[in-house]
Amino acid sequence: MKILIVDDSRFTQLTIAKLLKNQIGDVEIFFANDGEEGFKKYKEFNPDYVFVDLLMPNVSGQQLIKLIKEYDKNSNIFVISADVQKNVREEIESYGVIQFINKPFTDEKVKLVTKIIKGDTYA
Amino acid sequence: MHEKDLTYDILKEIFNIGVGKAANMLSEIVGKKIILDIPNITILESKEDDEEIYKHFSALPQGALMVSSMKFGEKITGEANLLFPANKMRIFINLCIGQPEYMNEEDLNFTDMDFDIIREVGNIILNSIIGEIGNTLDISLKYTLPEVRLFNKSKFEIGLKDKEEFCILLLYISFIIDDVKIEGAVIINLTIDSLNELMKMTKDIEDDLYG
Repeated sequence: MKILIVDDSRFTQLTIAKLLKNQIGDVEIFFANDGEEGFKKYKEFNPDYVFVDLLMPNVSGQQLIKLIKEYDKNSNIFVISADVQKNVREEIESYGVIQFINKPFTDEKVKLVTKIIKGDTYA
Repeated sequence: MHEKDLTYDILKEIFNIGVGKAANMLSEIVGKKIILDIPNITILESKEDDEEIYKHFSALPQGALMVSSMKFGEKITGEANLLFPANKMRIFINLCIGQPEYMNEEDLNFTDMDFDIIREVGNIILNSIIGEIGNTLDISLKYTLPEVRLFNKSKFEIGLKDKEEFCILLLYISFIIDDVKIEGAVIINLTIDSLNELMKMTKDIEDDLYG
């Protein structure tokens, strides 16, 4: 399984990666520091799942989601954001992402994500 | 605005909820229980006399400060700053990354990764506090990328007061993680127009309460 994590915080990239590896095990993880790099790596590596932060330099998470969805309408996107505003969550969910998750990304949240991924894998 | 005003009380409650949620998130990051003091909120305007302003600023943490900042805008415009004493940040960073031993508390040599951690945690806390304003008042706020800097306290104060007209909301917060007390502050700079807008929206909530 291939996962792409797009976040401008190295700390968050590593935290998400560690939690996913602990739960999923055999997974190849790629990182991008902003939306522009994220889209480039999406096209290059064709990941099974993408984890996207919203507030990033160059190309934002919202813009990246739109770019990915236009490129690949079957893309699987999780959003991980510190933004707690309801209107933001509603807007992002309208783009067809799998789940909008508030930071911090924790054991409990990764279990929920894993359940969705594993459910998807065996569907 | 007087502390006994219901408008003040509503504003304080909005911040209480935001800080409470932020403390919950902080607890998830460090994996420990956080004991939190209820924040006090003070509103300072440039028209106050210098003595009054000085009195409140002197209550801020002393020495070198680690400051996480984020600008926000649309219906209300301003900047939110999260301040903590830099000498407590080493302990805090080690808690965030799950290091079992605490390094020298006075170690102020922060790496890029240290700044990244503080920036990210500051981002989460400030989003929680400012976002709660947005949710309660039903307004949309757009943010700039968060920044983190190490400041000398007096330099930071000069930066705040160095505007012809300013309005500052000061929240003193303190919490205890693992027997370590960390006292800090959230300082929200608003334009005068934004303060008036905030007060108006809060007053609308108050009027709604009375039916």
